[in-house]
Amino acid sequence: MPELSFLLAQVPQAVADGVLTGAIVALGAIGVSFGLQILRFANFAHSELLTWGAYLALVVVAFAGPGTPIGPLSFGWQLIAAMLLAALLTGGLAFAMDLVIFRRLRAKNANPLSMVFAGFGAALVMRNVVVLLWGPGTYFYTNELQIAVEVLPGVRMLPDQIFILGFTFAVVVLLHLYLRYSRTGMAMRAMAESPALALACGVKVENVVRWTWFLSGALAAMAGVFLGLSPQLHPEMGFNLLLSLFAAAILGGAGSLVGAVVGGLLVGLAENLPILVISPGYKAAMPFLLLMLVLFVRPQGLFGERS
Amino acid sequence: MMKWTGLAAGLALAAAFTPHQAAAQQPSCPVKIGGVLPLTGSMGPITTKIAQAAQLAVEHINQGGGVKGCPVELILRDDQGQPTVGVDAAKYLVEVERVPAITGTVSSGVTGPIIASVTAPSKVVQISCCSTASAFTLDGRSQGYFFRTLPTSKTQAYATASEMARRGLKKTAIIYVNTDFGVDMTKFVKLALPKLGGDIVAEVPYNDNQPSYRAEVTKALAAKPESLLLVGFPKDAVTIVREWLSLGGSQKIALNNSMRVMDFVNGVGPKFLNESFGMDNAQVAGPTVDAFNKSFQEKYKTDSAGPGVHTQYDAVMVLGLAMNIAKDLSGPAIKDAVRQVHAAGGAQVGTGPEEFKKAVQLIKDGKPIKYFGATGPIEFDANGDVTGPALVWKIQNGEIVTDRVISIEDMQALFKKVEG
Repeated sequence: MPELSFLLAQVPQAVADGVLTGAIVALGAIGVSFGLQILRFANFAHSELLTWGAYLALVVVAFAGPGTPIGPLSFGWQLIAAMLLAALLTGGLAFAMDLVIFRRLRAKNANPLSMVFAGFGAALVMRNVVVLLWGPGTYFYTNELQIAVEVLPGVRMLPDQIFILGFTFAVVVLLHLYLRYSRTGMAMRAMAESPALALACGVKVENVVRWTWFLSGALAAMAGVFLGLSPQLHPEMGFNLLLSLFAAAILGGAGSLVGAVVGGLLVGLAENLPILVISPGYKAAMPFLLLMLVLFVRPQGLFGERS
Repeated sequence: MMKWTGLAAGLALAAAFTPHQAAAQQPSCPVKIGGVLPLTGSMGPITTKIAQAAQLAVEHINQGGGVKGCPVELILRDDQGQPTVGVDAAKYLVEVERVPAITGTVSSGVTGPIIASVTAPSKVVQISCCSTASAFTLDGRSQGYFFRTLPTSKTQAYATASEMARRGLKKTAIIYVNTDFGVDMTKFVKLALPKLGGDIVAEVPYNDNQPSYRAEVTKALAAKPESLLLVGFPKDAVTIVREWLSLGGSQKIALNNSMRVMDFVNGVGPKFLNESFGMDNAQVAGPTVDAFNKSFQEKYKTDSAGPGVHTQYDAVMVLGLAMNIAKDLSGPAIKDAVRQVHAAGGAQVGTGPEEFKKAVQLIKDGKPIKYFGATGPIEFDANGDVTGPALVWKIQNGEIVTDRVISIEDMQALFKKVEG
């Protein structure tokens, strides 16, 4: 067991690493959380939207080039533009997925388990189409390698990572305002609270469902691009994050934006902090340990409403 | 009545023992050797040549005089790459055919159960061409009855440690994949490095397929290492090395054999790898190796390249020599004789029937022999493992090039230095 002072000196860096991982998980978990509450099923194909988002941005980057790096960042405006475009396209892809698969199942009143398995099937197809189109190998947005800067005493971060944190924060704030004040946002929240009541109040359910899919896809694409920035893209990149996304969404409480963000950060911290004292071999288990502890006390998750 | 029963039992006992004692003096011909190999199943394609190499060795032994004047017969059974089938095959060979020695098999997952439930309990010698799991020879389950003719991960680990010491990498962090292979490599580097003049300041395992390894890298960097040893597989290694460099880690990085691919080098970026190096097994050269390659080509009209071919030939040849050296054809006697196949100060013998004949004559005259096989000198260490030569590779102008070769003699000297 290392000395206490040595351990304490490592904590700030571990927190920084945890928050960074958490930011990406949070972006992806928002879609899962909405899906659980508004669409009422666990969409296991969500992780593939991250992968698709990352690869779609790669296509744009391949045409436009990563551009001249902006300041200390490893990429130029082209990658940011590519990400926004990929977000639109992935949103469309998610919408198309609903159109082709899930809407038909909903129309026939399929039970949630059928939806889950349809999601599994969709995930397999989507992942293998990525392999078909881009091959099983790895890709990079840029071959630049950044050197971390010391942002606080004992805390090193890459400029890219600081950008990711800032961007994620901005997206979450915008999304919060959207859900709070726009009509569609309010309708989504109403659906999340009670679909029957929302329907009775004249909310156009299919409209809300469509928006939910689109937003989930767009956010997943951003998470995917950020995941690809650190540092590579491969066909399993989204799938490898799937369990973390679900842990974050359930930990925070299904249907809650704040819950998904806090859940994401907690998952990131739970992966990074304990390994100061235990073997990193157990890293992957830590978020689930935390998840169990939280669910024992609050079965609806930290910010979830008791139904 | 009691008296008669006792007498009958005594007679039966005597009858049971006499042929065995006779067998110890003069073996009944032919002498049987068991073989277990995955002739079918997923390993089937590579095993064809391995089985041919085994048959070729038997042929050479017989042309060179056989074992104690008897021809040798190889009874080969298929394990299909499955533990249950392999154990059944070995049981048949030991209990029905009564072989004192078995050669086999390819997959460590099959070899392990055979050692544990058949050969070691029955005191039958087993020698494998292809199974690398280091635990077999170290955890005591083999009781000294298991040998193998290919280098284990230990060879790579010691070579890596010695190259690190040679390059003056004093304080090193190890990041390793959390599998048998990674744990093995780490264990042996940790054993060797302090004795060669280096120090390990952090050991961090990692699980594969994670999006980021910042936590692992941060943990390794906390101990302020001057260099990194990374043991793993290319895809995750790219992420780890990039994060390591980003977070201020040294460019002095030692790598294992899996990283000897351009995917890894290009993924990290060659310009960051100028001070790094890696390790891999090297091909042995020498007249005894050439002789084997030539006779294999002549016999089967195909070249001998392929996994396990050379090591399988040596496995059977070692059995042939050891059975000639052993005072009788019992498992324990053969086990002890295997260690005299490459005796210090012995007369050199090589591959092929003529060399085997020479070896048999030397053994009859009571002289020590030193076998050089299809994979070079075959000298078993205390655990029943062999060493092999290794090569150091590095990255130069964006290409992977061989830096130098650590010869088998250097490697044996290294083993003595580390293990005493």
